[in-house]
This record gives sequence, C-alpha cells and structure tokens, in this order.
Amino acid sequence: MKKASSDSLSAYLFVAPTLSGYLLFVLGPLIAAIVLSFTHYDMMSPPRLVGFSNYARLISDARLAVVYKNTALFAVTAVILTVGIGTFLGVAVNKRLPAFLKYILRTAYFFPVLVGMIYAAMVWKFLFNRDLGVVNYYLHFFNLPPIPWLTSSGWAIWSVILVYVWKNVGFTMLTTLAGLQNISEELYEAARIDGAKPHTVLFRITIPLLSPVILFNVTIAMINTLQEFDSIVALTNGGPGDASRTVVIYIYDKAFRSFDMGYASAIAVTLFVVISIVTLLQLWGSRRWVHYA
Amino acid sequence: MSTLSSSNTAITAPPQEGAVTAGKRRPGLQWVGTALVILAAFPMVAPFAWMLATSLKSGPHAFDLPPSWVPTEWHFQNFLSLFQSNVPFATFVLNSLKVAIVVTVAQLLTCSMAGYAFAHLRFRGAKGIFGLLLTSLMMPIQVTVIPTFLIMSGLNLIDTHWAIILPLITNAFGVFLMRQFFLTLPRELIEAARIDGANQFTIFWRIALPLAKPALASLAIITFTNTWNSYFLPLVFLNSWEKMTLPLGMFALSNVYGSGNVSVIMAAVGVAVCPVLILFLVAQRQIILGMVGSAVKG
Repeated sequence: MKKASSDSLSAYLFVAPTLSGYLLFVLGPLIAAIVLSFTHYDMMSPPRLVGFSNYARLISDARLAVVYKNTALFAVTAVILTVGIGTFLGVAVNKRLPAFLKYILRTAYFFPVLVGMIYAAMVWKFLFNRDLGVVNYYLHFFNLPPIPWLTSSGWAIWSVILVYVWKNVGFTMLTTLAGLQNISEELYEAARIDGAKPHTVLFRITIPLLSPVILFNVTIAMINTLQEFDSIVALTNGGPGDASRTVVIYIYDKAFRSFDMGYASAIAVTLFVVISIVTLLQLWGSRRWVHYA
Repeated sequence: MSTLSSSNTAITAPPQEGAVTAGKRRPGLQWVGTALVILAAFPMVAPFAWMLATSLKSGPHAFDLPPSWVPTEWHFQNFLSLFQSNVPFATFVLNSLKVAIVVTVAQLLTCSMAGYAFAHLRFRGAKGIFGLLLTSLMMPIQVTVIPTFLIMSGLNLIDTHWAIILPLITNAFGVFLMRQFFLTLPRELIEAARIDGANQFTIFWRIALPLAKPALASLAIITFTNTWNSYFLPLVFLNSWEKMTLPLGMFALSNVYGSGNVSVIMAAVGVAVCPVLILFLVAQRQIILGMVGSAVKG
C-alpha cells in the first residue's frame, strides 16, 4: 500500500514537466483561443466581449470560403499523391535489388524529409522561375510552353502541392518498406503454391496487411497538410491574390498583420473543429478497411 | 501480359529465397517498377545538385541555362561572403544552434521521464493523461499560437529565445516514442531493482535511461532537426536581426537580396542544410528507427 502510493507520487513527478508544458502551451491556449473568439482584441486596448459577432463575420467573409477551399484542395490532393506514390515506391523498392542501390534509393527519397521546408522552398522558388527557371527550361526543351508556376492563380497551389509531395513522399516510402518487412514470407509462399495471380497477391495480401501503415501515413499526411505553412509562405506567400492561401496562413495574417486577434481566434476555433471532425471520421472509417493482423 | 503470367504460374517453380513480392512472377512488370523508381529518384536529388552547383558559381553565371547539375566553377567566395558581409549570418547560425540544443536537451529529459512513467508506473489517470497528450499531435500550432503570444508578451519574452524554447520544452511525439521503447524493457528488471531497495528515480536514472540510448539518440536527432528547421515560431516571436534563427533570418534576407544574388542565397541554404546532411549520413539508422518505428509498432 505504502509502496503503491509512493509509486504514484513519483509517477506524477515524472509526468509533471510534460503535463505542465501541455497545460500551458496546448490545452490552456486552446481554451483561451475559444474565449478570445468571443472578443474584439487589437492588442492596443484590452479585449472586449462581443458575443457571437466574430462568428457572424465568418459566415459573410468571402475570403474565408476561398482559403477553406484551398485548404481542402491542398490537403486532399497532397495526401492522396503522397501516400499513393510513397506506397508504390515502397512496394517497388522492396525487391531483391543490390544492397547499394537500395541504400542510394532510400537516401535519395528520404533526404528531403529532413531538410527544412523553408530551405527546400527557397530552392524550388528559383527552379520554378517563369523565365529563368530550370523547370521551364526543360519544358521548353520538350517543346512545351512555359508555365507560370508561382505567378498564375491557376498554377500556384499545384506548385505548392508538388513541392509538398516531393518533400514528403520518402516518409511514406520508408514506413511502407518497414511495414512490408513485417508481412510473413509464408503467406506469399502459400499464395504461390496456390497459383494466385500477382494482382490477387497485391490486393489480397500486400495491401490488406499494409493497411495499418497506410492509415498511419494518411493520418500523418492529413495532420501535416492541414497545418502546412512554411512552403506556402516561401513559394507564393498565399498569392497571387488568395489563390494559394490556406486557413493557417489566413489566421497568421489576421492575427499578426491586421492584429485582429479576436477574429483570428474565431477562425482558429473553426480549424480546430474541422480537424477534430476529420480525425474522428478517419478513426471511424478506418474500422471498416484497416486490417490488423 | 497474359503470356508472361501464365508462363510463370507453374507450381513447380523453384522456391526462391529472399523477398518474394507480388511482382516476382512478372519479370516485365517488376522491371518497369524498378526503372520508374530509379528514374524518379533524379528529380528527388536534382534540387540539391542545382543548389550545390549554383552556390559555387560567380554571380553573373548563376542563371545560366542549360543548368548545371555538377559544379562547373569553384567560386568559394559566396560562402566566405556570408560570414564577411554586414549580414549577421554567423549570428543566425549560433542562435539556431543554441535554441536547437537547449530544446533537444530539454525534450530528452521531459519525454523520457514521462515516457517511463506511462510505461512502468501505475498511477491514477495515466490512461486519460496519455490520451490527452496525444491529442496535441493533431493540434495545429496556429490554433494555439495567439494565446501563446499573449502569454509571452505578458512575461516580456517577445523577441527573446525563451519565447521559442518554452513551447517546445516537451513534445507528445517524444513521450510516445520513449514510452514505446520503455515498454520493451522487461518488468522483472524494474521489479528486481525495486526489491533491492532502489527508488523510482534511481531505477530510471541508473537502469532504464542507460538502456534507452538508441531511443534517446533517435529522439535527439529528430528534435534537433525539427527545431533547426523551424520557421513558424521564430516568425511569430522574434523580430530583431540579432535574435533571429537561421530559417527566419535567411528567408528575410533572401527577400531583401532579391534574386540578384542567387549564388549567395544558395550558399546560405547549403550551409543550413549541411548539419542535417551530416546527421543523416552518420545516423541514418537511428533516424529511420525513430520516425518509422512508431508507424509499424502502431
């Protein structure tokens, strides 16, 4: 009895730094953001309660609809491409290739994951230059017209998506490779003895047994895309106009450029609600297709 | 296609050792996949090759087309000028190092302590607290940053490094990673130490932590890299040149410079990417274990 209580006392001490960090910088601010969303606050004069007027503004804010549309387009497309291509790469590399070739491929695909997005985006910004950029040079080489990657409202968000996929596809590839290591050889052996066709093996063995890894990758990519900030700021700064502006950038602009803290908090609350719903939907949906061995 | 697969469906095919995958029985298709993977690896590295080649070019040649993928000039002046000009580049580097090291050391301590408690100590509310912590993984920093800004400004910490260190003093991902590791330690080990009269702090510090070196190495590298690359928090909290970290200072500078100085900017990016490249080459194993292991163990 005495041992147990001293045990839980030390447990609380062990958890205390993390828990206080969480309360001070995650849970506390989340609650404070909800409170602030009911105020008008410009940092000059103290916050003033304004009821639901910030939320009323949300509904009539045409820019908000645009940034949410951009966020959805960016998140859905980038998640599908990153997870789809990354899973394909993982399955394709998981072969009897020479060890050094495997090492080179793994390094080439994974290295961008570790490089700061801001640096990667600074390089891509030059590569995407309309007149002097490397990408358009090669398009010209194949007799294709130059593309205004970052300066046209049609292309800007696709350029941001491209850079996101380029940077993160290696992460999916590596997790897929690791997941494939866990699939028992015997299953493939048995399938071969039964004369199963390759696509049957792929859809009946490989993909079902990879589904927890795929779910993990979808979840991580969803979380990351919904809060992607650096690449957009560095490549297009949300422009031209609002063409590539996403919710998180809009929150930043409202809070730290217009000092409209109350309204920015209201937008932040909507983002929190959206992310919670997406996460719950994912958990619920995953029960239907994820197969835990 | 059909001939390929039917000719290979023979049950008498000799058993093969090593990885047997879906593509195995269709050599044609398998090679298409492999070729695609090798081809697509070029655009993965191309931006870095271009960065390196450009960082070594003299200014007028920086935009030469066709682009060069290997250095054609060795104009090291670009790197020297980073440290010689009146731009506080060296200060950015030192600031980033300082913040990244402090945050890393802090997280190693807080995350391993909490991870140990969640793995091996029984206490009321453990499950709930752990679940609550994990929810912070999905919380965008932009949702909490406004109140955090008000806290920092109340504490007079705006434009100090504390403002970007304190919010990162712990990290749910790190707690999760350490917990997963500590769960692999046999319970008997801890029980035995306790029967010998050691208290939990001694067990943690003398037994569990030394065994956790591989996990600590993974966490250290991941945390260092993330903090070294972090742009958003410095953007919100720092505004004087002397306080700026590398990502913030460099991006601000590249806007001041404009595209006229591509080669110098690329030299700066090269310097910024260097520590990550070295870490990656030295400790690829730990990085992959830390980042990928959590995916597979679930």
